[in-house]
Amino acid sequence: MVLDVNGVTKVFADRGKNKLVANDNLSLHINEGEIFGLLGQNGAGKTTLVNQILGLLTPDHGDIHLLGESVLQSPARARSICSVQPQSQVPLGFLTPKQAVTLMGKMRLGKKFDPKRVEILFEALDMNKWANKEGEKLSGGAKRLTAFCMAVIAPGKLVILDEPTNDVDPVRRRYLWEVIRNLTNDGTSVILVTHNVLEAEKAVDRVAIIDNGKILTQGTPSEVKRSVTNQMRMEISLASELDMEIPSWTLSSHKKGSRFILSLDPNDISSAIEWAKNQADNGLIMDYSLSPTTIEDAYIELTSKKGDE
Amino acid sequence: MNIFRHYKYVFQMQFLRNAGFLIFMILIQILVSIGIVIGFTYLIPVPDTNAILFLATGAPTIILIFTGLVILPQQVGTAKSDGYMEFLRTWPVNRAVILGADTTIWLIITVPGIVISAFVAHFLFSPGYDLSWTVVPALLMIALTSIGVGYGFSYLLSPTASLALSQVIVFGALMFSPVNFPMDRLPEWLQILHEILPIYSMAEIMRASLAASTFEATGGNYINLLIWCVLGYGGAIFILNKK
Repeated sequence: MVLDVNGVTKVFADRGKNKLVANDNLSLHINEGEIFGLLGQNGAGKTTLVNQILGLLTPDHGDIHLLGESVLQSPARARSICSVQPQSQVPLGFLTPKQAVTLMGKMRLGKKFDPKRVEILFEALDMNKWANKEGEKLSGGAKRLTAFCMAVIAPGKLVILDEPTNDVDPVRRRYLWEVIRNLTNDGTSVILVTHNVLEAEKAVDRVAIIDNGKILTQGTPSEVKRSVTNQMRMEISLASELDMEIPSWTLSSHKKGSRFILSLDPNDISSAIEWAKNQADNGLIMDYSLSPTTIEDAYIELTSKKGDE
Repeated sequence: MNIFRHYKYVFQMQFLRNAGFLIFMILIQILVSIGIVIGFTYLIPVPDTNAILFLATGAPTIILIFTGLVILPQQVGTAKSDGYMEFLRTWPVNRAVILGADTTIWLIITVPGIVISAFVAHFLFSPGYDLSWTVVPALLMIALTSIGVGYGFSYLLSPTASLALSQVIVFGALMFSPVNFPMDRLPEWLQILHEILPIYSMAEIMRASLAASTFEATGGNYINLLIWCVLGYGGAIFILNKK
């Protein structure tokens, strides 16, 4: 086991003595070579947890073990085991991506560092054209990729990526996921912190959904989905934003602009398809798709259920 | 050794990241220090050698105060607000190494200004420099105190508060501190304040090493700087390691 988080609670008190429970008795563990997704909305407590894993914050209760040793006792060791891509952009100033990534590699490995790795990594992410451009002049995506490279150039046993795909274009996102997957082949574990749930579903081995400082559920993506429902979902693009009659087999529905999402029991699939085809023939809907519940559905279901209480 | 390896690469990272800014700052420092020596002579109708010597031996102190207590806190404030400070804290190195590497960079910025202004003053006015062997350790001690205190308060305070404080310091150091004129011209309460604050001790030690036959510094001055230096760096390391 690479990481073992046991009953971690962290409370912030502001000047007005309001208490914010950022982490509420969190427990999770991460195995070697595993990609673990930490999903949750803004302010759910993901970054607070990460900062405690790195030893930047001390938990009020509970303990965190990295490779069997407590982070509380040796925070400096935690920083050499983990490498991090922070959520905020890294201001590179006059550093070029190549300089920044090479120096980070040398800082971690010293003479053992092989500068060829930088070239291989830049090649894999198709970022050679920026390699020698000053950081200040780079686009947001290029900066984000540079920060990603700084985290993975000489990865520790645990790489923590906080929203790594923000600002990154769709093509390079794919490359990025490949690089992450390759990392784990060498036994490195990855924590992926994100609220981009759809993307995470494809990438992670296991996932925990955090809301208001608590873990609502954790497991493999299919376990998490099953814990919520085994329903199917139908996504429809409406021809106009007018309301349409909701078919009788619908279990739940929600509408966002011209996007209409219905959930249904697997037994009703054939009637649903027939209905959708009719609607399409009559010009009421543009197109439709039917799929098993995604982790996004589970996520929304879980986090909104809590809000209703 | 890990520490040396870390120091080397942290230094390179920090230096290259700020390269453009640093060159600009070195130029500004040279201008400011020459400006102090020449500009202040306009304030005095008939400057005698003694007054010029005061200005010439005060300029390096002003440069060091300017660097450590004004520019540095502004830089730290920016690093704090754009999240760079948080990123630094995740690096796999001892935080004192980061502080050490940064201090080296600040020292490099100040040296050209001090040396060039001393030469300019010497050739224009021959104010009577008389270098003592203490000049290098004295410069180092004053610089470290200034940089250390700058780190201490800018890490401790919010970016806005430390910006405000640094503005007060630059004004106070130029106009209300016994750096460019003798202490006895100040009102008594300010004299007492300056016995505690490090600026007066910095100026005294600097003068004693640049013009050893005219001025001398007391042991108290050295002790004063030592205390401020330790407080500053100690505070900075404490804040960096704080959770």
